[in-house]
Amino acid sequence: MEKKKTFVEDIERTLYDIKNEDRPVYKTQQGLTEDIIRDISRQKHDPDWMLQFRLKSLDVYNHTPMPTWGPDLSELNMDEIVTYVKPDAKMTGNWKDVPEDIKDTFDRLGIPEAEKKSLAGVGAQYDSEVVYHSIQESLVKQGVVYTDMETALVEHEDLVKEYFMKLVPPKDHKFVALHGAVWSGGSFVYVPEGVQVKIPLQSYFRLNSPGAGQFEHTLIIVEKGASLHFIEGCSAPKYNVTNLHAGCVELYVKEGARLRYSTIENWSRNMMNLNTKRALVEKDGIIEWVSGSFGSHVSMLYPCSILHGENARCEFTGVTFASKGQHLDTGASVIHAAPHTSANISTRTISKAGGIAAYRSAVKVTPDAHHAKCSVNCESLMLDDISRSDTLPVMDIQGDEADIGHEAKIGRISDEAVFYLMSRGISEDEARAMIVRGFVEPIAKELPLEYAVEMNNLVNIELEGTMG
Amino acid sequence: MRTWRWLGVNEAKVGEALLMDTEEKIITVPEGSRNSLVVVYRRESHGQLKIRLEEGAELSLTRVQLLPGDALHAGSVEAVVAAGARFHYTAVEAGGAASVTKLTVDLQGDESAADVAALYLGDGQRSIDMNYLIRQQGKNTTADMQVRGALLGESRKIFRGTLDFLRGAKGSQGHENEEVVLLSPKVRNRSVPLMLSGEDDVDGHHAVSVGKMDENKLFYLMSRGLDLAEARRLVVEAAFNPVLERVPDQALREEIDEYIKGRLSHD
Repeated sequence: MEKKKTFVEDIERTLYDIKNEDRPVYKTQQGLTEDIIRDISRQKHDPDWMLQFRLKSLDVYNHTPMPTWGPDLSELNMDEIVTYVKPDAKMTGNWKDVPEDIKDTFDRLGIPEAEKKSLAGVGAQYDSEVVYHSIQESLVKQGVVYTDMETALVEHEDLVKEYFMKLVPPKDHKFVALHGAVWSGGSFVYVPEGVQVKIPLQSYFRLNSPGAGQFEHTLIIVEKGASLHFIEGCSAPKYNVTNLHAGCVELYVKEGARLRYSTIENWSRNMMNLNTKRALVEKDGIIEWVSGSFGSHVSMLYPCSILHGENARCEFTGVTFASKGQHLDTGASVIHAAPHTSANISTRTISKAGGIAAYRSAVKVTPDAHHAKCSVNCESLMLDDISRSDTLPVMDIQGDEADIGHEAKIGRISDEAVFYLMSRGISEDEARAMIVRGFVEPIAKELPLEYAVEMNNLVNIELEGTMG
Repeated sequence: MRTWRWLGVNEAKVGEALLMDTEEKIITVPEGSRNSLVVVYRRESHGQLKIRLEEGAELSLTRVQLLPGDALHAGSVEAVVAAGARFHYTAVEAGGAASVTKLTVDLQGDESAADVAALYLGDGQRSIDMNYLIRQQGKNTTADMQVRGALLGESRKIFRGTLDFLRGAKGSQGHENEEVVLLSPKVRNRSVPLMLSGEDDVDGHHAVSVGKMDENKLFYLMSRGLDLAEARRLVVEAAFNPVLERVPDQALREEIDEYIKGRLSHD
């Protein structure tokens, strides 16, 4: 019996590749100097403490070496990246007031539509600034704050100062230091004690300017007993020059609170995606990550959950799809730093057409974190023999009361599974399609319907029988 | 059984005539032959074994390390396996103050196979560092790595187990499994099970499980009249058994048994 190969078509990108004319109202020079930092800070009307913070971060950046592991980052030349691009739009709460071409972009991506149907609030960022922000009145009445970081810096300065880059300090690694120096845009969310935000809030980041960087900062604080589902989406059109994304997400989940953070990342194939996400979970708190990585040229993304309070919990579900020209190094990490904490990490990776998908994780149990439980499950599907799939987990466990399990599998679509489905009357093409859809289903089912649909569109499966 | 003393090895017993190139210190297992080699370290030493299995050859290598508690040990085993050949490796890492060991197996030929079983025992202030790599190059190769460990006292251990499927290793299978039982609150266990693949037509699977002794087992044994120490010893021995029963030399197996019993009763 001839072995047929599964052909999984490349992610349908036409929609994302539509470029708008690049006519910002202001653009910094390329590169990274103290003058450029001061320039950005001035443009953004930063308070003085933020300017000083930026300058200190630049200093840390200049003294920190590049990572010695992971994908090749040599294509990244900071001297050629434009770190700040101010779009010709003022932030507004009404789509009608957003400039035509920018609004069209978000229209095509389905954001206003989604907002009408199924979101309680939306933030839309275009290049370096947020152009649209809205939140349902009912939430505002309950004291929920959902605004862009710049507004938060003015209206909730003390709160921001207390939390900003404390969970992810600039010294952590070079691209966090870079972020600290040139960050712009992003969302600030504050959910007061006991408030359950039943409908999701979403932020969408769109990078239009070629050779630019996006450095949005998302800071979310969910107070005691409150709950929130936050969705993040991002995309950019493809250019021949490199774009850089070095964003930062800091999530504070207080006692008994619950936060679900979903991301569908679909950056273009010229994007270097060096994002840092971290959550700090207090007693009885829960963090749920749902992460889909489909885009970018190179990705290094390892959402980290620090289980800081007793009984804190983390659930991580992720899918990474690496195709031609992509090196996606993603994973998750958990630190059990208190007793009776638990974590569940479940990831799927797919690699095809020369793509490299690497799964990298770390599970750390500190000596005081007795009765920690952690289960890691990673499955990798390879669709041809020119791609790579690497699984690189590390477990570092201290104490004797931990219960840790890890399992990983690598393989291709099973011929037996295909045969079984065919024996049930399903065509071979459809059988293979079902299997791949089933493979990513654990992630799809965690997303709200519209995003699950988008995710399935991203994984457009077309089958072609080729000789052996 | 011949007894050799070379390569920093304290004692080596070999079943049949193995060819050894003393200049390069490479042991060759001739085509189609079956052989066994038992290597025991009892004094501070550093040992290196390079082995080449020719087509269709089969070698069972047992490597036991029972160094005194203050000794340091570094050792490596490299095996290159040709088509149809099979390499069986059994390792006991039980002694020394600090031991660093490496195993590299290259399954170069089609249908070649490696089956590895290792046990480690840490107590007191010991540190154990093991780095095992099986590289699967030929078609239809099979790799199996089973590791069992117990950590007591304030011991520290890191086990890196790598299954590396090279492009072209079509039809190959690799399995890796580590089970660690933690017997003291001050131990530090690090496990790094790596699985790398450049080939889609493979079947790779690895698993690690780390935890305390099964309380049900303990309860059952104690309800049968054993005290905690005895019950613990029994559970650890049971965990180690799949590795120990591969040791071909009866006297050596008893020696290892006694050694482990002694160490467990000290704690």
